[in-house]
Amino acid sequence: MSRSLPNRLTPYLFLLPALLFMATFTLYPLLSVAYLSFTEYDILTPPQPVGLENYRELLGDAIFWLSLRNSFTYLLVTPVIIVLAIALAIVVNRRIPGIGIFRALYYIPVITGSVAIGIAWQFLFDGSGGPVNGALLALGLIEKPIVFLTEPRFTLPIAMLMTTWMGVGYYMVVFLAGLQAIPEDLYDAARIDGCNDIQKHWYVSVPGLRPSIVFVAVISSLSALKVFDEIYVLTNGTGGILNSGSTMVFYLWKQAFRLQNVGYASAVAMVLLVITLAFSIGNVRLLERRED
Amino acid sequence: MRILTEQLPASRAGRPRTPWVSHLFWYALLGLASLVTVLPFLWLLMTSLKGPTDAVFSLPPQFIPRDPTLNNFVKVWQQLAIWRFFLNSLFVAALTVTLNVAVSALAAYPLAKMRFALREPIFYLLLATLIVPAELTYIPGYILAVQVFQYHDTLWALIFPNVFSAFNIFLLRQAFQSVPNDLIDAARIDGANELRIWWQVLLPTIRPAVATAAVFTAVTSWNALLWPSLMLRNRDLYTLPVGLTALRGMFTADFRLISAGAIMVIIPILVAFVFAQRYFVSGLTGAVKG
Repeated sequence: MSRSLPNRLTPYLFLLPALLFMATFTLYPLLSVAYLSFTEYDILTPPQPVGLENYRELLGDAIFWLSLRNSFTYLLVTPVIIVLAIALAIVVNRRIPGIGIFRALYYIPVITGSVAIGIAWQFLFDGSGGPVNGALLALGLIEKPIVFLTEPRFTLPIAMLMTTWMGVGYYMVVFLAGLQAIPEDLYDAARIDGCNDIQKHWYVSVPGLRPSIVFVAVISSLSALKVFDEIYVLTNGTGGILNSGSTMVFYLWKQAFRLQNVGYASAVAMVLLVITLAFSIGNVRLLERRED
Repeated sequence: MRILTEQLPASRAGRPRTPWVSHLFWYALLGLASLVTVLPFLWLLMTSLKGPTDAVFSLPPQFIPRDPTLNNFVKVWQQLAIWRFFLNSLFVAALTVTLNVAVSALAAYPLAKMRFALREPIFYLLLATLIVPAELTYIPGYILAVQVFQYHDTLWALIFPNVFSAFNIFLLRQAFQSVPNDLIDAARIDGANELRIWWQVLLPTIRPAVATAAVFTAVTSWNALLWPSLMLRNRDLYTLPVGLTALRGMFTADFRLISAGAIMVIIPILVAFVFAQRYFVSGLTGAVKG
């Protein structure tokens, strides 16, 4: 039975809206940003091709290198968030009254949004009398309050802490689902073999969570490479004193939308694309190896 | 997945219940952890309730307002149309979700259930777009919005770039694949066309996956900051995150007002979370897993 033309067209008609939106808002921008990275462009006047000039300039741009280094430093969030989320998942994975409320409380930072959280964090770390300074003074760890928010060496660590704090509840749920898929027999066997409570998690929970760990590592490292919101809200859009908190996406944003160096920003975007691609390919390899 | 509610899988149910007192250690640990997640919000709330004689920052810090007042909220409400930011956010989220889920579900159906020449190439093309960071498309996206579509400074500029999502297409494609072919064949024999099968037979059977995609898209849209702040100039069109950023700029010195504004901005999503916890959790984690 040969199908009529309208029938053969059906699948394409179903796909058409998605393909149109994809072409307009993903594929075209990708090609366009690649082209713009070889031009000088300020949006108002047409782009002027300049060859590799933008890339050459990047090589000698100290703030670009700082942003690149900061983005890679940001990857430290991944191991920290994995350890904390697993610990939290183990703690909430028990049948005691009210556990649902605790799980919900840990989830609130995931959904609240970075602007409100950024404001709260600016209060916490305020130099003239925020609670963090208050606590450190009370514990006798410091002599006088630290001006966290304007001290360059603290900009990135505080943003990383905020990312961790916002994300840990989300990954906790991922690990909780992973824990609950581990057969109870394995824990019983570990107990019979003489494992204590901590050993039993090390020898049973952690290996059992391996697929979840790989998944979380992929997701959280990719989002760490693209961090923007935390830097923007914590530094009020400045990137911190001496650009101390500038990351790849922050620098891209600043060059394109604050300084109108659109061509130059596109070159930064291309570097980001290459790094993300390399990372994704590495991640896929990792996933495949684990599945063998 | 009902992780947040208290139903645990059967494997744990068989264990003898330990007495409440022995849980004390765990409650202490849980309490300590919740202090860490909740304290920043409590600090905001307390600051927003502080009167003019209360110190916002002091050493040692003052937590509880001695002179509590709701004036800060009234002041922010009078000076800034937060309700309008809320309606803008709601409009953008609702339309983004509707269009995104409709377009994704349309695309997912043939990828799951039909055979056609370009199926593999299209599938891999969609897969490849997952790698492209959205931030990368903002520069050309901005130029498109300003020079081609000329919809910058309208709410449509926040909606259209977020209609296509490879994530949601994959999620829904997986759901469609689990629908038995017999169901579709039966509908075809009854003379239903493909669009009707999609709408009346398939979509109702994959409702959980649709909910997952919808919640994930909604929360992402609701909290988006970078792109909306690039697009919106007119204060009447601000969404909640952009409005809160502006509010912080307006009241730079008055932290009581800033925290009152932040609390008001947090409330809607918190209320939604309390009432639809289950969907939030399965939605946010399910979507990434799909």
